[in-house]
Amino acid sequence: MTTETTSARPAAGPRKGPGRRPPASSATKVGRPGFAWALPAAVFFALFAIVPLIMVAVLSFMSWDGISPPEFVGTDNWSRLMDDPVMLKSIWLTLLLTVLGVVLQTPLSIVLGVWAAGYQRNRAVLSVIYFIPLLLSATAVSVLWRALLDPNFGIPADATWLFGDGNLFGEQATAIGVLAFVSTWQFTPFHTLIYQGAARAVPPVLYQAAEIDGAGRYRQFFHITLPQLRNSMITSMILMIVGGLTTFETVLILTQGGPGTDTTISAYYMYDKAFKGYDFGVGSAIALALVVAATIISLIVVRVSGYDKMRSTMEGVS
Amino acid sequence: MKTRARLPRLVACGATLALALSLTACGDGNGGASADDGKIHVLVYGDATNKVEKRIVDTFNKTSDVKVVLDTIPGADYQQKLQTIISTPQAPDIFFNWGGGSIKPFVKADLLLPLDDFIKKNPDLENKFLPSVFNNAVVDGKPYGIPMRGTQPVLLFHNKKVLQEAGVTPPKTWDELVDAVGRLKDKGVTPIALGGGDIWPTQMWFQYLFDRVAGPDLLKKALAGDKSAWESPESKKALNMIRELVDAGAFGKNYDSVKYTNGGSVALLASDKAGFELMGSWYYSQQLTDHKEFAEKDLGYSAFPTVEGGKGDPKNVAGNTNNYYSVMKKTKHPEAVAEFLKLMYSDEFVKAQLDIGNLPTTTNTDEFIDSAVSPEYSRFQYDLVADAPSFQLSWDQAYPQKASSDLHKAVQQFFNGQLDTDGFIQAMQALPTE
Repeated sequence: MTTETTSARPAAGPRKGPGRRPPASSATKVGRPGFAWALPAAVFFALFAIVPLIMVAVLSFMSWDGISPPEFVGTDNWSRLMDDPVMLKSIWLTLLLTVLGVVLQTPLSIVLGVWAAGYQRNRAVLSVIYFIPLLLSATAVSVLWRALLDPNFGIPADATWLFGDGNLFGEQATAIGVLAFVSTWQFTPFHTLIYQGAARAVPPVLYQAAEIDGAGRYRQFFHITLPQLRNSMITSMILMIVGGLTTFETVLILTQGGPGTDTTISAYYMYDKAFKGYDFGVGSAIALALVVAATIISLIVVRVSGYDKMRSTMEGVS
Repeated sequence: MKTRARLPRLVACGATLALALSLTACGDGNGGASADDGKIHVLVYGDATNKVEKRIVDTFNKTSDVKVVLDTIPGADYQQKLQTIISTPQAPDIFFNWGGGSIKPFVKADLLLPLDDFIKKNPDLENKFLPSVFNNAVVDGKPYGIPMRGTQPVLLFHNKKVLQEAGVTPPKTWDELVDAVGRLKDKGVTPIALGGGDIWPTQMWFQYLFDRVAGPDLLKKALAGDKSAWESPESKKALNMIRELVDAGAFGKNYDSVKYTNGGSVALLASDKAGFELMGSWYYSQQLTDHKEFAEKDLGYSAFPTVEGGKGDPKNVAGNTNNYYSVMKKTKHPEAVAEFLKLMYSDEFVKAQLDIGNLPTTTNTDEFIDSAVSPEYSRFQYDLVADAPSFQLSWDQAYPQKASSDLHKAVQQFFNGQLDTDGFIQAMQALPTE
């Protein structure tokens, strides 16, 4: 069966067929792109990413309130963070929200994306509508939902059977639920777009063959579409994870980390320490920890998923 | 292969997002004020009141050789911007602030000019202002600020119609308030509207009750570093009263999901769904904007109820006393600055403030109050503030700015039951006081 060979295929070796890389042969004429070509990008990257990163790293060993000159305090900021229960809690909350984001958004955007990949006109129209939340800024979206979820005049007031007294922002579980929901509402369209593109790239010949073999729609979805979407899934998940770890505005506007510290995720805690508490040393330490964590997690995902080997999943095309 | 190299970069880019925030901290501090161009730079919080400030500056520049330049920073960014430029050469000569804790760190860093020399030469710089307001910019016994806008005491607002239907009159004492809460609850309305999502409205209940029960000295002691003040019997009594009020259902159950700033609690009172709301004096104009008919017909107001046996004077008020101009030590034109500050009690200043609905805190405000936008309301407030032996500055402004986040957390957590009395006391004791 075609479908089985597709999923069971262990390793399609790297393709090195002749004529696969015409750009390379033409490039030999002009000479290979050297370091100079990358210079503008590299300079900007160094200026706006590497330099601040180093400054943040240095600042994390200093005490600075923004007024008096910074002073070196050794590892004080770090040891204070280690003993800080809110910091520990914020890490768990960050992970929880990230996982919730991936778990909620992935199936939803796969289904929507595959559906939107059809060429029917009504799907095109609906896809455009689904896309709208992505065009709004996270700030606008958060302000909007905070108002929509007002317990006395918003949705909860008209749906007491579902929301009870409507105290969504007053309890941890519901506050987290709202945060996860709002992120899902906003970012699912983006991932839908990724899956739509990927689903359209699946060679139709696979489906034709499956149909001849008598595979139904669901079978086709699970045995052709899903395996073919594998790389897109990893791309989208990495984006979700990095996005989840650095979520900020949603929390700032929707919950301000509350009630108490119940939705204080790490990125918000960084802001809280640095810009509300004027403790830029501790703030920098949290920022640096976040950078390291995000990098490690993403690298793990890349390794585990085998994304770095970049196998083609295409079948039947050459 | 290509992708492999690109990924860590992608990740790093994502991580930079987090850092972009930290970047602004190291901003260039180019606030429009330049180091030394022979002019006096005045830095002000940017909002609708700026037109009065501009007018005063124009008046000053007509006669003065040293010119004044007004620089404004949009409100939301003001505090952070000020913090980053104040110790740099770009710092202004005079700047807007909230008095109390908002200038204490600058005084400690020896950046501000004590104004006692100015006042010695011209006692009007102190005498022309209401003492309860002027005193909130006194740090370690020395004055550091001249009031420069309007006062905003916190008042207990009510919906006349709802109160009447429940057979309740505006409460003069705490017991009457508790009784009113019970009756309003029986009528099926939320007794007191509260925008707990913003947290500072919740804090208003704390600052008033603590003042009534323990008097203004408790917070003064705590701010001076004597943290045992929070363990005092008065402190515990005030906390118990809050606990009882919350547990009696005075605020309903979902107050933490309601916000004042998005109009939630405002609409609650205006739509007859709540009886009271404790809010700053700006509430009146907010209701006029949002719910004109209600504001004109059914919006009532009274002072915060008295507490029997409390140590605080029942005439005390709490809220935002005023905003202040403070002077930087490094200013090159102290004489001209002193002349400029004189305008803050001029007739022109008072009239201009009253015209846009602000209530200045100068002694000559009395003469012009009948020309205010709503004279009766302005008169009530003015008398309240003028007669007050003490004006408690909002806690989050009395404390240094860096304490405000933890202070808000403690207030919210005690209110919703996440912290008990001891937990709250510990949290308050942990706040930095300088």
